[in-house]
Parts: sequence; structure tokens; C-alpha cells
Amino acid sequence: MEDVENIEEDECGFSRNYFLAKELGGSSKRSAHKLSDINIVDEQELRETALNIETKHEKEISELLNDYKTMYPKWVFELRCGFGLLMYGFGSKKLLIEDFASASLTEYSVVVINGYLPSVNLKQVLLALADLLSELLKCRRKSSGSLSKGQETFPSRSIDEILSFLHGSQSEDKDCFICVVVHNIDGPALRDPESQQTLAQLASCSHIRIIASIDHVNAPLLWDKKMVHKQFNWLWHHVPTFAPYKVECVFFPLVLAQGSTAQTAKTAAIVLQSLTPNAQNVFKILAEYQLSHPDEDGMPTDDLYSASRERFFVSSQVTLNSHLTEFKDHELVKTKRNSDGQECLNIPLSADALRQLLLDLNQ
Amino acid sequence: MAPSGTVADPPPSSATDSFNSGASEENDIRPFFVLHKASSGSLQGKSTGTVRSKRTIESPTPKIAKKSEVESAEEEDGQFLSNRRLKIFETVWSKIEKTIENVLRDSNSKIFNGIYDWIRESFESIRSYGALSLSEAVRSYPVLTQASSKQLFTALVLTRNLEMVDDLLTFEELNLHLKSQGCHVAKLSSMDFSAKNGVGGCLRGLLRQFVMPTLDVADVTTLASWYRENENHKNPVVIIVDDTERCCGSVLSDLILILSEWAVKVPIFLIMGVSTAHDAPRKILSVNALQRLCASRFTLSSPAERMDAVLEAVFLKPCSGFTVSHKVALFMRSYFLCQDGTLTSFVRTLKIACLQHFSSEPLSIMLEHFCQDRSNQLTGEGNGLLTESTMKHAFDLPSVTRNKITRSTCELLPQFLLDLQRMPNPWSIVVLCIYEAGKFDKLRLLDIFCETLDPEARYLKYFSPSAIVNCQSQVSGRSVIRQVLRKLRDLSPSQWRSLLKRWENLSAEFSEINDKVMELHPLKRSVEAAGQRQGLPNSPKKHASRSHTKLEKELSAMADKVAAVIEFMLREYMKPVESVPFHEILCFKNVDKLQSALLGDPRGRIQSDLLEAHNILHCICCSQRGTTLLPSMHDTSILYTLAQEHADVINLHDWYQSFKTILVSRSSKTKQNSKTCSKSKKRKDRCEEPEAPAEALIQARFCRAVMELQIAGLIRLPSKRRPDFVQRVAFGS
Repeated sequence: MEDVENIEEDECGFSRNYFLAKELGGSSKRSAHKLSDINIVDEQELRETALNIETKHEKEISELLNDYKTMYPKWVFELRCGFGLLMYGFGSKKLLIEDFASASLTEYSVVVINGYLPSVNLKQVLLALADLLSELLKCRRKSSGSLSKGQETFPSRSIDEILSFLHGSQSEDKDCFICVVVHNIDGPALRDPESQQTLAQLASCSHIRIIASIDHVNAPLLWDKKMVHKQFNWLWHHVPTFAPYKVECVFFPLVLAQGSTAQTAKTAAIVLQSLTPNAQNVFKILAEYQLSHPDEDGMPTDDLYSASRERFFVSSQVTLNSHLTEFKDHELVKTKRNSDGQECLNIPLSADALRQLLLDLNQ
Repeated sequence: MAPSGTVADPPPSSATDSFNSGASEENDIRPFFVLHKASSGSLQGKSTGTVRSKRTIESPTPKIAKKSEVESAEEEDGQFLSNRRLKIFETVWSKIEKTIENVLRDSNSKIFNGIYDWIRESFESIRSYGALSLSEAVRSYPVLTQASSKQLFTALVLTRNLEMVDDLLTFEELNLHLKSQGCHVAKLSSMDFSAKNGVGGCLRGLLRQFVMPTLDVADVTTLASWYRENENHKNPVVIIVDDTERCCGSVLSDLILILSEWAVKVPIFLIMGVSTAHDAPRKILSVNALQRLCASRFTLSSPAERMDAVLEAVFLKPCSGFTVSHKVALFMRSYFLCQDGTLTSFVRTLKIACLQHFSSEPLSIMLEHFCQDRSNQLTGEGNGLLTESTMKHAFDLPSVTRNKITRSTCELLPQFLLDLQRMPNPWSIVVLCIYEAGKFDKLRLLDIFCETLDPEARYLKYFSPSAIVNCQSQVSGRSVIRQVLRKLRDLSPSQWRSLLKRWENLSAEFSEINDKVMELHPLKRSVEAAGQRQGLPNSPKKHASRSHTKLEKELSAMADKVAAVIEFMLREYMKPVESVPFHEILCFKNVDKLQSALLGDPRGRIQSDLLEAHNILHCICCSQRGTTLLPSMHDTSILYTLAQEHADVINLHDWYQSFKTILVSRSSKTKQNSKTCSKSKKRKDRCEEPEAPAEALIQARFCRAVMELQIAGLIRLPSKRRPDFVQRVAFGS
């Protein structure tokens, strides 16, 4: 009964805070100050300074991280018992989790997924995991001297097939698993229901254990009960680190430097790297065209199609369209109509940035 | 997700390069990478622990490094123990899990048999239409025109449970059950009925399960010709859809229409799991599809009923030996009743409790013996479990020191352990007896279980004479035992009879309780006799005739006597597990640990992390001066504390200015102070407060802090409509 009262009290507290805030907004006039009233320093300078901010309480933070080290054996035990670990609390947990994996999970292969990136291809992750597992199973069979039953070659066709390979048979050694670290399982690339479903299915595989971190206060809303109880099987760990979100921040705009473009060249490169080589090549054609025709509105879609098809980068209009959708989703490409009414594709980057991007891609 | 195209891309990283210097930064921007591969030692089942990666947290003091060297000697011991613990945990848990599975299977078996009988009967009736020739049976024409031949036999299985998660296992079991009876069964879920893939998607799913897994066509004739192959047509085809409400209605309707056209050629039985109400299909299916359904209804047992059955099997019948304390049981109960309501979550809570028990209590490995047959006597010394350190630990347990048991009584240990092993027997008999009495009032075993676990035995106060007198007038406070006592007075003679019979059965193996129950028989007989005289054995409170008053008297005497027996049982045998020495070995007690592992509260905890950062960081500089904001505090912490003073939207300019004031004014003050006062100079050294930072730095820090708040989901960035304001998203936890 007490719990019910507590819950109700919490809810009251929540709504009281909410209405107080709302009331405050209504009663007193909103401040009319403009952001432009601040003498904002040059954006380039702001970015450079932001990179070199000294971390406060460095000593305390490292002590905190060291305190967590005593938990490592417990975490390993929990993983071996078949649970998934979910780390939350303020501060970047990237270093903590990777340290845990490097120090205590040496017996198991560890794959890290950086969920904070704007785009992660889960199928590639699954393929790599299947690769690792088949290698592991082969080694085990060799060391145990038993003959393989020819199950080590995994089907590389659909996600379902890879997942069923990773699931393996229940009778096999329970302690044979690969650990998958997912930084920011609530990150932008993994936030969609399909990715979460795939991850949940992955987590329920018998040869996989997941260690994930969340940062968003509403992250649990990503999962339904089946995912929580049957698939992820989370054990929550509150591990605030107060470590700066250095890598995680790269993909967020600076609030005082709105409408910035400098960042997009870098983020564009990262997005492109996660795409297939064919998609990258299509993008290159577009970029080269834009550099050689600086005065035009962009490359007509039909021209892009014929150029890509000539070089065997796409086989049909449908494939090209799927690449273009991907580009548009990540704001790599914009469409507009030129004076002839043709639909043209344009990369919203300066010529210099574009050249740099091409160089990065060709490396 | 990026399209993968037809060309399989090489993974962007391989294991070797992740250890190269400078690789870590590169790894940060890779979608994924292999941190390390399993060390070769593990392949032989040993740990070598030699792989060291760059990515380790450096110890700030050499002390800790030294300590870890010393620890490494103990590591091997620890490794052995942890392997052993894991093994025993697995034994214990698999025993519990198996018990639960059996209970659930038993509770469903009646319904499953009912469903199978229904399928058989309907199948025979379809076959009675007459045999079709092969060529007729595999083509879509001639169209059958009789309405009855287009009926699709459908079973609505009411799960009485809004959450699908409990029923996944039920439908899986149903699948296996029907398969074992020879039916062809396919299981589809709402994922197969998506609007995106249409009816083709679910047909493909069906064919993959029936015909062959690699098939990629969506054609019913394939199904029809498969059905005619070999001996397939001798058995019915069953399709199970476990979560009907979540399916796309139009796709499901289409499938029903298609399949009903073929109903005679391929006798298909649709089993739909319905969790809301029996009219749910009417809400999601089209009228046409509804007309084709010939529905029967089956009802599963409710989650609460299943829960009681599970509880009985796991805690009250001999199972694994593992048990939980009163507080943990109360938490599990309130979690089940107030938050989740699914049996799955209850089982998971139990598993977490079991895991926590094993990871925190060294003596938990003794559960191995409880798990085995009762004939196996507990002899700790025999198997080397009771080493010096475990013995010391055992005699330091609170339950042992409380009972003033010392090492001198060491030889008594095996006796205590034997007691512990035997202890739950009379205890569980008492609980089950009360449960039987409570069944007349539809009381839940869960409630009784929680109340009777109370180590302070507060339930005994209901037996004081004054409480018995007042028991009908007092309404406040919910006690199950009191409810049972009250209900006893309303029982009819026939109910008395059945109650005593069940008590007799329950206590058969325990003579002390059994004797007491037997003593009730003469009373029972006189009650029955009085009831017969009155001629209305089932309605004790009707006419105020003479025989009726006699009956009432008898009944009241019976109730008093039974209450006395219950009191006797509770007083004598209801030793709650927590009052027994050494109970810590099998009883999990740490409710806070369980709660925090089960229910992360990111919403509350992340905010309190920010608002009370100094409590976590334990720094001297920030915690000293109460609630005032100090420049030495974490930037994001300062910014979020400032945000609390704003309404639902925050003016960026104002926010920035107040942030700046905190950073600048304090620093300059400290600077002034340090010139005049040596004391504050010391403080300055300790706090290392920076000098007034440059404008660019303040702005950069502000941006970083806002970004971090955005990552935590506590604010939303300015929109185009309101470029100068950020929006607060969270208000309190």
C-alpha cells in the first residue's frame, strides 16, 4: 500500500512542477531578450575553444570511475547469467564501458557499436558478429577435438537467417558468447522501431550478451514489455560518470552558432562512410559534377542516373532512388528545379568543403 | 538504417587495427568495431587475462595499482568460486524455471485439449463434404457457392491479459501441443500482418513455415498442392495468430477472405489470441471477413490465478530452497499489482533476486544441497564448502549473532542447517491451509504469502480476544488473515466439509497439525447434523426458526474452534524464515538492490545527478556552501540548476547571462579575496577555481552544457518559430 501512495505522491510532485512551470510562463511576461544581444564570438573560434574545454573535477571523476571497477566482477557474473547490462546516469559512459570490456571481458570477443553516430548499418554489424561467432565455434571444435557438423558456415542472406545462426542451439555451451557493447542504444541512428526490434532480437540470441548505455531520460519508452522482459533482459546500473560527452557531442549543433555549415562537411563524411560503396560512388559523381559546373543549379536527376548506370553503380532507377532518399534523410543532398523545370540535385556544401570531402572519401 | 545494396560491404574495421595507437579516435567515429577477440586461453576454458587494451582507466594513485597486484593472487580463487557460483545459480534457477513451466503447462492443458477436440470435430465435419480429386483441390475454380463451405473455423482464445508478453509462452506451448497431435501448425504474429507487406507478406510467412523456409512466393495454390502431397491431407492445418489486436485489420481481413475461399480444399483452422474482449475481432476486421468466421471461444486462466499457482509451486512446495524475505516479497507484490501485472515480469524479478543473492552472499552456494534430493544430507565439511573464511562469515551473519550462537556451538551447525532444510515444511502447510480457507473469499495466495512472511508476526494480534470481538466492526487496515477469520463465520456446512477435507490432505504428512484438524471432526458432524435438520444445508442464514438458531450456534462454535486451530498453527509452526538462524543462506533480503536493478529510473536519477552532483563526485569544493551555485561546479549542473528557475521555455539570452554571472563574479571575488586574505588563498588552491574565463570560453562552455542537456533529453533546442528560447522537457522526476 505504501508503494501506491509513494507513486501517487511522485506523480503529484511531477504535475505540480509542471503546472508551476506553466503558470510561471503565463503570468510573468516572457523575456524579450534576443540571442543576438549576446556578443557571440566567431563560430570558428567557438568550435576550437569548445574542443579544448578543461574538464572540471577530473580527479573526482577518475576516482568515481575507479570505484566502479569494484563492480566489474559482479557485472561479468550478471552477463554470464544471461542478463543484459544497461548503464545510465549523467556523463559519458563510453570510457567506463570500454574499460570494463577490456579489463574483465578478455575471455569473450567484444564488438562495439557507436550508437551516437547519425547512421549505423545493423546488417553489417550482424554479419561481423556472425563472422566472429563462426570463427569462435571453429576454434572450440578444434580444441575440443570433436568434428564439426558443418554448421560453421553461416548464411549471409537475410537478417533473420543471421539471427538464427547467432541464436544457435540451446544445448551448446552456455558460456560461449560474444559481448556487444552499444554506446547510446537510444542514439539517433538506433532510435527507430526497426533498429530497436533488430537489437532486441540480437540481444535474445543465446550467443550474444549486450552491454548498453542510455543518456536520454525517456529512453525506456523505446521498448515494449516483450523487449524488456524477454529479449534485452536488462539489469539497470546507475553509473553517473560526469565525464564530458566529447564524441557524442560532435553531431549536435552549437546552440550559439545556429545555421552553421562547417560541421556538416565532417558529419557528411561520417555518414557517407557508413553507406555502401555504390552509394558513395553515386555521391562522388554528383560531387564531381557540382565542382566542375559551379554555375549550375545542380545535376539533373536523369543525368545522374545515366552516369551512375554507365559505371554500374546502380542497376535501376529504384536503386538510385533509395540512395537519394538516404542522402536526403541525412541532408547530404537537396533538390530544386532549374529554369527548365528539371529536377536538380545539389549538395549544400561549399566547393572547398566538397573537395575535402572527396579527398576523405578516396582515402 | 542505410541500405546495404546487393554488394556485401566489408566490415569497416577488423580486430587487429583497434589496438593500434591512435586507433581509438578513429574507432569513435566508426559505426562499429571489434574491440578485441576472445583470448585464446578462454577457448580451453581457462582465463589468462593477458589482453590489455589501450582503453583503460588509469589509476590516479599507485596505491591502487599495487593493491591490484596483491589481488591478482586471490583472483584465481575468485575465478574458481565464481564459476562454481555460476554453476549452482544455473542449477537452482533451471529448477525454478522448470517448475514454473510445468505449472503453466498444467494450467493450460485443459484448454489445449479443448482446442484440439474442437479442431478434430470441425475437421471431420469438413471432410464429410466429400473427398475432392487432386485436380479440383489445387485450383481456385470452380468457386464454391454454398455459404457453409466458405466458413473458416476460428477459435478466439481469450487471454484475459492486456499484456501480450505472458501469452507468448502459452501460444508456443499450444503450437507444440497441436504439432504433437499431428496438426500442421504455423505461427504468425502482428509483425507478419503489417500494412507495408500486405497480405502477400503473411502468405509468404505461412508458406515458409509449411512448405519450405526459402520459398519466396505468395500463392495459395502452392499451399493447396503442398497439402495434397504425401499424407499431409490427413491432418488439419492450424494457423495461430497470437496478438490479434496488434495486427493490421485490413491485412488480416484479406487473409481470412482468401483462406475461406479455400476452406474445403485446405481445411484451415485459425486460432486468434484476443486480449481485450471477445468482440475485438468485430473492431478490427471488415464485415465481409467477419461473415466468414465460424468462431468458438476459449478462455485461459487469469494472470492472478497463474501467479498463485506459480507461487505455490516455487515457494510452498519443495523446489529449489531459494526464498525471499518479507520486504522483498512485498516489493514483488506491489510491482506485480501496481506496475507491471505480468507473470513474466514477476518471474524475471525472481530471477534477478536469485542472481543478486548469488552475487552478494558467499554462502549461497550451499543452496546446491537444498536443490538436490532430500535424502542427501547436508554435511558442509564433507565437501570442503565450509572453509575457515566461510565459517567466519557464517557466524557473523546477523541472524546468528542475534540468536547468540557462537563458534563454541560450532558442532551445532549441521543441525541448524538441517532445521533450515526441514523448516519450510510445516510453514508451507500452514500457509496453504490458510489459503484454502481464504479461497471462499477469493483471496490471493500472493497476499497471504506476503502477510505470513512478516518476521514480527503482526498477524497474531488478530487473535487477541478483543480483536475477535471487534473483528466485524473494524474495517480499517487490510489484513488477509483477518479477512479469512471473518469469512469463516459465513461458511455453510458443505463448505466446512470441503475445507476440512482439504486441510486433512494438506497436513497428512505432518502429524501435529493433522491431529488438530482431526479434532474438528466431531464438531463438523454436529454442524452437518444441524444443517440437515434445518433441511437447507447451503443457506445458513435464512429463517429464524429454532433449528436455525441451533445451526447458527453450531456454526459459530465451529468458526471459533477453527480460528483457534489457525491461531495454534500460526503460533507454533509459522516461524517466518527470517527468524531462523542462518536463513541468510537461502533467503534474499536486499530489496533496494533488487529494485534498482529491476527498475532503472533514468528520468529521476539523471536529474538528481545534475542537481546534486557534489553528492556523487564527493568533491570538497562544491559541497561546502549549501545550495549556492559555485563556478567550480560542473557546467551542466550549474546550467540545469539555473533552468529550474525558468518556466516551460527558457530565454537563451537570460540563461546565458546568468550562467556567465556565476562563472565570472565568483572567480573575480575569489581573486580579490586572495590578495587580502591568506586563508582564502588556501581555499583557492584547494578548489582550483579558474580565473575569470574569456568570453569565448564561457560561450563554448555554455554551448557544451546545453548540448549535454540536449543529449540527456532535458531540453529541446530552439525552433524556427521561437529562435530565442529552448524548451524544458522534464519537470521533476
